[in-house]
Order: sequence, then C-alpha cells, then structure tokens
Amino acid sequence: MTQRVLDVAALTEGTADSRSLIWWGNLAMLAIEGTMFAMAMATYLYLRSTNLDWPPSTVPKPDLLMPTINTVMLLLSCIPAFIIDRASITKNMLPIRICQALSIAVGLLFLYIQYAVMVPSLGYKWSSHAYGSVVWVIIGMHTLHMVAATGETALLFLYSLFKPVLKKHLLDFRCTAVYWYFVALVWVPFYFIIFIEPWMQRKGS
Amino acid sequence: MTELAVLPPDFAKEAAIMEKTWASKPGVIGWLSETGHKQIGLRYIVTAFLFFLAGGIEAALMRIQLLKPENHFLGPDAYNQIFTMHGSTMMFLFAVPIMEGFGVYLVPLMLGTHNVAFPKLNAFGYYIYLFGGLFLYTMFLLHAAPQAGWFSYVPLAGPQYSPGKGVDTWAQMITFTEVSGLVVAVELVVTTFKQRCPGMSLNRIPLFVWSMIVVSFMIIFAMPAVMIASGYLSLDRLVGTHLYNRSEGGDPLLYQHMFWFFGHPEVYIIFIPGLGFVSSILTAFTGRKIYGYTAMVSTLVVTAFLGFSVWVHHMFATGLPQLGESFFTAASLMIVLPTGVQIFCWIATIWSGRFRIATPVMYVIGFFLVFIVGGLTGVMLASIPIDWQVHDTYFVVAHFHYVLIGGALFPLFGAFHFWFPKWTGRMYSEVMGQISFWLLLIGFNVTFFPMHILGLYGMPRRVYTYQPGMRWGNLNVLASAGAVFMALSVLTMIINFLVSRRAGRVAGANPWNADTLEWSLPSPPPVYNYLHVPTVSGLNAVWDAAPDQPYVTGMRFDRREILITRVLDAEPDHTEQLPGHSPWPFVLSCTMCIGLWGAIFFAWWFTIGAVLSGIALIGWFWPSDRELEDHILREKGELGGLELGMPEPVREEMP
Repeated sequence: MTQRVLDVAALTEGTADSRSLIWWGNLAMLAIEGTMFAMAMATYLYLRSTNLDWPPSTVPKPDLLMPTINTVMLLLSCIPAFIIDRASITKNMLPIRICQALSIAVGLLFLYIQYAVMVPSLGYKWSSHAYGSVVWVIIGMHTLHMVAATGETALLFLYSLFKPVLKKHLLDFRCTAVYWYFVALVWVPFYFIIFIEPWMQRKGS
Repeated sequence: MTELAVLPPDFAKEAAIMEKTWASKPGVIGWLSETGHKQIGLRYIVTAFLFFLAGGIEAALMRIQLLKPENHFLGPDAYNQIFTMHGSTMMFLFAVPIMEGFGVYLVPLMLGTHNVAFPKLNAFGYYIYLFGGLFLYTMFLLHAAPQAGWFSYVPLAGPQYSPGKGVDTWAQMITFTEVSGLVVAVELVVTTFKQRCPGMSLNRIPLFVWSMIVVSFMIIFAMPAVMIASGYLSLDRLVGTHLYNRSEGGDPLLYQHMFWFFGHPEVYIIFIPGLGFVSSILTAFTGRKIYGYTAMVSTLVVTAFLGFSVWVHHMFATGLPQLGESFFTAASLMIVLPTGVQIFCWIATIWSGRFRIATPVMYVIGFFLVFIVGGLTGVMLASIPIDWQVHDTYFVVAHFHYVLIGGALFPLFGAFHFWFPKWTGRMYSEVMGQISFWLLLIGFNVTFFPMHILGLYGMPRRVYTYQPGMRWGNLNVLASAGAVFMALSVLTMIINFLVSRRAGRVAGANPWNADTLEWSLPSPPPVYNYLHVPTVSGLNAVWDAAPDQPYVTGMRFDRREILITRVLDAEPDHTEQLPGHSPWPFVLSCTMCIGLWGAIFFAWWFTIGAVLSGIALIGWFWPSDRELEDHILREKGELGGLELGMPEPVREEMP
C-alpha cells in the first residue's frame, strides 16, 4: 500500500498580507484596545447621564483652535500611513522612509501640542471632579497609544536604516499602518466629547 | 483503530532533527526562556492547581470558623481577608487560568500543529499570571490582603473605607491576570483560525476547541471591562480621581456595571471549557460522533452572546428601573434554552452510544447532577422577587458553587483523569479515581446543599459569625463536615496522580479509543508534537482516518516551521517560522511588575516600569543574526527544504 502525502514544499514562506499570523494578532489586539476605548466612552456617557451639571459649571469654555488643528493633523497623518501600507506591498523603500519620518514628526508634534498647549488650557485636573477624571483618563489612554504608535514607527524606521528589510518587516510596516489608523480614528469621538460638547454648551456665555 | 502519526523506522532521522529543533534548553535560563505550548500549558495547570489548594485551605478555614455560633477561631478582619482571598483566588488565579492552561496544552495538539501562534507571547502570559498571583499572596502574608470581597465593590473598596494597600494589590492582581487571559485568548483564536491541519474545515473542529474559541472571544470583549473598572479603582485610590466618588460627580454603580459586564461573561468563560471537556469525554466513552454537532457549536455561540446581556441580574437590588430589570430577567431565563439543547444532545449521545464507565465519565455524570441543580436555582434567582428575598444570603453562595463547581470543577477533574495518560504516559488508578469522585460528589452536596436552606433561613453571606438563637448551627456543622469529604477527595486525587505518574500502568497512545488528534501521538507527545502535519477527513479525526491517511511533507525539520491554512476550509496556504527560545517574555513581565507593583506605592514607578518595558520590547522584537541570515537566503531562493532521502511521494489531491 502506498502512503499518500500532501506535499507543501511549493508553498511560500511567510506572507506580508492579511493571511499572516501577525496580521490576525494585530486585529485581535485592536479589538481589545477598541473595547477599552468603548468602555472609556461608556464611562463618559454614563456619568453624563447621572449628573445634571455636566460638564461642571466651573469648566471654562474650551479654546477650539489648537485641539482642532491637532485632530485634523492626526487625521491627515493617515495618508502617510496609507502610503507606507501600499509601498510595503511593492517594497518601495523611499516613500516608506519619507512617510515614516513624517509619521514620527506628526506623532511627536501631536503629543507636544496635547501636553504643552491643550492640557494646560483645560482648566481642571483629574482630581477636580469626576468630569475631570474621565477626561484625563481618556487623554491618558490615548497618549499611551500615541506613544506606542510613534515609538513603533520610530523603531521600524531606525531598524530599516541599519538592517536588511525582509518580508517580515514589510508586514510589520503594514501592521503599524493599521495600528496608526486605529489610533488616529479613535481620537475623533473623544475630540467631540472633550472639546465640542463643552464649547457648544458654553457658546452663549 | 488507525493511528495517524505512526513513526516508521526510516523517519528516525527526521525525528532526531525535529527533536533538536524543538528541544528545551537546559538550566534555569533555559526554563525561563521556554516557549513550547505543552510546557507552558502544564505550568499553567500546575500553578493554577496550587492556587486551587490555597483557595481550598482558605475555604476550610472559613468552614472551621462557621462551625459553631460565636466562634473566635478567626476574627472579623481575618475572616474578611480569607473570604476575599478565597473568591479572588478561585476566580482569577484558579478557574480561568487552569482552563487557559488546558487550551494552551490541548488546542495545538487537537489542531495538528506544532505550537501556538505566538509562543513568546504565550510564555509572557504565563509569567504575568504567576507574578500577579504571587504578588497577591505576598501581600496577604505581609498582612496587606484585600478585605472587600472578590468583586471589591466601591465605596467599600474606595479610598475612604479601605485604607492600606490591600485593595490596590487586588486591583493590580486583576490587571496581571486579565493581561494573561487576553494573551491566551488572542493566541488561541489565531491558532485555531490559521493553523488547523489540512482537511480540518470549520465543521470538523473538535468541540473542545470550539469551546475555547468561544471563550477566547468572550475574553477579548469582557476582560477589558474589568481592567478598566479595576484601573479606575486604582486611580481613585492612588491619584485622587473621582470616578466612583458620588460627592464629586462619580458613581459607585458605574463600578458594578463595568465589573459585571465582565463578571457575568466570566462565569461562562469558566464553564464553557467545561462543556468542551464533557463533549470530548462523552465522545470517547460512547464511541460515537457527538449527537447534534452543529447544534452544540451554535448553542455555545448563543450562550456567549447571551452572556453579555445578563450582567444586570447581579444588580437587581441596586434600585435600577423596573423595566430594565425585567429585560435582564428575560435574558437570564433565555440562557436555559442553549444550555438545555446541549444537555439533551449529550443525553442523546449517551443513549445511542456504547456507553462505558470510568472515572472521567463519572465526573461527567456528576456534572449533570450538580450543574442542573445550579441551573435551576439560577432560574429562580433570575426572577426579581426571589432575588430580592435571597440577595446576599447563603442561597446565592449555594447557587454559584453549584454552577461553578458543577459546571467547571467536575468536568475539570474529569479532564484531569481523561488526559492524565496523555501527559504522563501512564494510567491512574481507577479505584482511587472512583473513590475521589464519590468523596467529591457526596462532600460537595453535603457542604453546599444546606446552604440553600441557610439562605432561605436568612443567613447572610460574608458574616464571620452568628448568634446561637438563629438556628443556623446544625446546618453549618453539616456543611463543614461535607468540606472534610471534599478535602479528602482532592487529597485522594493528588496521591493517585503522584503515585500513578511513576508506577501506573503504561497507557499507550490511545487508552480510551478517543477521537481527537492528540490521541494519535505517543503519550506523552514528543516535544515537536507531529513529525509531519497530519490531515483529517472527518469530525472524529482518529476514527475517520483512512489506513493511508495522507500526511504533509515538504516542510523543514531544522526550523520551527508551521503550516498556515485557510480560515474556512483549512487548505494549505503558506508556511511561517515560529520563534524559538527567548528570555524576553520573562524580562518583560519583570519590568511590568516594576511598573505595576511600584505604582501602588509611588505613581512614578509606573512610568519607570513603562520605559523599562519599552526597552524589553525592543529586545523581544530584535531578530537574531541567524534568523536574519536565514530569511535573506530564503528570499534569494538559495535555501530549500532538507533532502532527507524520503520515499518518493505519491501526489494526490486531498479528499
């Protein structure tokens, strides 16, 4: 009796697309992180529903200029992320490097504006009241993600300057781009609740 | 009886290479950098079992204290610490991790692959779990144990009413164990969807693996809630936020909502793997395909979805709007439907199969008896009027011990006996196994059934003692007496396993004539699992295998190469190389400990720990030169598979 076999020697080793393990792992991580942000949003909405004075009357009318610039900038940074993703398919290193440098710059600038301009102008701290607590928690969570996304991009950027870029690294570029979309897009609803909502409420005053 | 992976003598050379490729490293550093799923899985199981013993000792102390009215064996403070430790240990350090341990050990074997998808992450998950548990017990021994119950409700657990570091310790332990749970969940989802052996399409996945997929998805969406809830608790206590402080606009009920949004799915996270064990054991011991496979899988999924919509039934006494409570009553009652379908399917399987009796299957019968009683009291508690009457009494204690011990512990002990031959290569003593089963069944019911009555008599939970005139004394004596039997049962089981591990009868590959792929391997399985990735042609892989069932060739033996298949039909897609040993998971869990333990005492430790963890992560991801070289050569096409003088393969399409 002959033993039947299934020969897989012709299969490629590793893919830089949605079939790979890392891609799936990345998506699962985003599901977890997304649930965390959803919980933070639920916290905000829950406390909003149980407080008549929301945001508390001591919260000043926010200045919209810098937060809006920061949010738009973050959204626009999805374009370099998209270019990194596309260029990784064909391993076109020049656009990848330019866009990685751009992403790192945007990440650092965003964090700088967040902490040097926006946070000081909030007018309350995490310990002022529950409203302050939830807003600071949201900003803190998003900062951690922003640091992670920027750090990851910087690490890949530096790595690709000194070491050979292989298929597995192209996959890393692509996953980082997906992560970047997540970090950028998840900020948008929080921009609305942290800045637009109190601004609308205080518009007349 | 066909076995898939017989090892003809001419495969010895391949086996030797595989042995070297997948071997563990020697020494302490080798132990700490281990990434094999079987070793990590067994570590989970052993560690969780040790925590189970610790939780059991705590239970025994409580039973001694409640033996008679106005007993002063434990003071009120000590009693509060003990019941908090008992609950936290059993839920977070025993029940979930041991199920994860089984998943980590068994899922890759059942799927016919070499390791889980992210081996380093897997090792990291274990250490982070271990350190979380050790931290809780270290603080307990330093007299800084939490005292606010296993769910640490605010305001009791808040900064005002729980000074000291106990609740902070509890909250960090939650973070550690939930990170570990999430890590395992991600791995098992990816492993199951991408690494099944060819032929194992979705409708041929063993039911135990299905139960682990369902549990993993529940973990992914439930555990973030408790991490956020306990994180807020830490923030409120350590840096002065007001998320749960009513006077500053926070809300204590927010904690309960978020805790139970996790906490109810948690119950299913604990017992759904138990349902998987039951299906595995019953299939083997009836010798037939499980009755209603599709119904079984879909009811598991339905149970998971319903599990997310019933959390408010833990909060009926908090004064929520009546309409909302009614909705949650209805949702809670609906749980009966999928569970009922499952139980009827199992009964049909037993009815129409050739039913054999041995210890594992006796535990399954015990599961039916105990779990159904727990389910019935669950239906009672789902109705608001009854819930209001017995809320916070021993009736609830009785209910959830019937559900958890019935739904998780009985199947788990069955699983211990069922897979013991696979782990050790030897059989346990059947007589001892049956003795421990009867001791547990009798002891459990004698301990917990009186608690229903105590609850109806009005005895509240979590009181360290009671007055003589309450007439609760006799039933408490009965309960404590039952606990002795339970302890004896566990002791018998431990002795049985320790002795049989060395002196038991040699088991052989498949002592139960079971159907899943791990039984086609020698016992204990070789370090690489499968020399050649197997293929399957039916739901019951071993039973349905053809005499010349194809196996996969053309993969490398000198690298940790695994076969990736397509999600739906499990057709071969590509190969990937898994990382080998790495000390970095251990290092990363140490740096995380610096951050999370330190933060309890001084907030900046968190930042220090985060920076150190960042460095550890760079070390984790930095590829070794050998690895790089390998990839470069391969991309240039200069490194093919090894020529090992294998017989010319007869190529044929998969059936």
